Amino acid sequence: MERSKKYMNPYLAGMLIGVFMIAAYYFSGEGLGASGALKSVVVATTDIVAHDYATEHSYFSARVSDPENPPIKTWLVFEVLGVLVGAIISAAFAGRIKLETIKSPHITNKTRLIAAGIGGLLFGIGSQLGRGCTSGMVMSGMGVLSLSGFIGLMAIFGGGYVLAYFFRKLWI
Amino acid sequence: MREELYVSGRHLAHIDPHLEIWGAPIAIYLFIGGLAAGLILFANLFYLRGKADEFAMTVKVSTLITPIIIVIGLMLLIYDLHHKLYFWQLFLHFRITSPMSWGAWTLSVIMIPAIFWPLMYLDDIIEYLKERNPKCKITGVLIWANNIAKKIKILQFLLDLARKNQKMMAYISIVLATILGVYTGILLSAFNARPLWNSAILGPLFLTSGISTAAALLMWLTNNPKERKLYSKIDLLLISVELFLIIHMFMGMVAGTQTQYDTAMMFLGGSYTVVFWIGVVALGLVFPAFLEILELNHLKVPTWLPALLVLVGGLIFRFIMVYAGQASSYNLF
Repeated sequence: MERSKKYMNPYLAGMLIGVFMIAAYYFSGEGLGASGALKSVVVATTDIVAHDYATEHSYFSARVSDPENPPIKTWLVFEVLGVLVGAIISAAFAGRIKLETIKSPHITNKTRLIAAGIGGLLFGIGSQLGRGCTSGMVMSGMGVLSLSGFIGLMAIFGGGYVLAYFFRKLWI
Repeated sequence: MREELYVSGRHLAHIDPHLEIWGAPIAIYLFIGGLAAGLILFANLFYLRGKADEFAMTVKVSTLITPIIIVIGLMLLIYDLHHKLYFWQLFLHFRITSPMSWGAWTLSVIMIPAIFWPLMYLDDIIEYLKERNPKCKITGVLIWANNIAKKIKILQFLLDLARKNQKMMAYISIVLATILGVYTGILLSAFNARPLWNSAILGPLFLTSGISTAAALLMWLTNNPKERKLYSKIDLLLISVELFLIIHMFMGMVAGTQTQYDTAMMFLGGSYTVVFWIGVVALGLVFPAFLEILELNHLKVPTWLPALLVLVGGLIFRFIMVYAGQASSYNLF
């Protein structure tokens, strides 16, 4: 009972994400995403630190060429800021905002953080090769019935299921 | 050879069409100045109200931070000077019409009580840190400094003198801290050729913002629930005043001359719109205020979160004001 009070029903939460996806497409013309926001921050930082490099390389140049639309001024950046704000507010109402490292009781915090760092790096590289992460490619993609969204879903979650066996000690 | 013809107007390097003389050090310095002013203000105010023991963090411990951050601020100022070795010349002149002169003198005078205050309470500060935070690494340094200070007789004589006149010192410090807080804004508003800065509201706005960041820092540092709650309330009030002043500033500009209107449009549709309204107003004022309201209503919100947001918001505000102010001019559009 305690748990159901603290966390929302996952099926209801999933449906709500779908509703917000429709709202996002309606208001901004773009779906939901996460890695895209980080990419914008990276592109904007590179543009400030090394402007010539950013304009020469195709990965950056597409986003920095238009002075009217600086790379940081994208819907996703503000969507992610909103996600943070919303998460903090909802956690405050549920009474569980605190800094903690969630992990298997058999490993140290350091191991967990290093593993999470490596995992994050790999996911970042993967999301750029696949042109989107779980939210940007899979959810938003499937929302508009894009084939890549369905393939991405199978690849990300299938890959996760297959490889989870080897990293189970981080969690159990 | 590239030849250009200037039909009219001026062309001075780093001044036309946009001022390009101040960067991050000045923005950080203005932030530090406001924060120091706020910390001194609270310490002296609560001392005068007889809360030295009850609000130990405010009156005693936090005063250790003030001289350190003021020195950092002054170092940033010297770093920004073109002729660094001539900085002392500012202290040989006083020009009553120059805010920079007022600031330089206020800072150097306020340094005296700012250094004496924590020295007077060094024993209490060490006691406080030992009791509340036994693992604190600064305690060792403080004990060492305290032992040295006890051996210097002239210092002890001066500290006794200060203790006898502590009330007067507090009153003077409050006046000086207010001047310091206002000066960080007036310094900018004295530039009459930069329409964003040339507004009388900048002084009170920077003062309010500085006191608000100080309240946030004290709220974060203290572990006395009563003190924390009080700062939560003070910060809420200051945030409301700040929002009022910001809205008032833009209202004044929009209803002003074409130049002022164009300047306001830098924030109401122009290139500073998003970073100002999201970074400063939404994430630095409204959201932390909302979190503080939740906290005052007994929901568990970690204190560091709204405090950090207010502090970062204050810093971004200084950066935006410094950069946008330099970009604003009479021949912008």
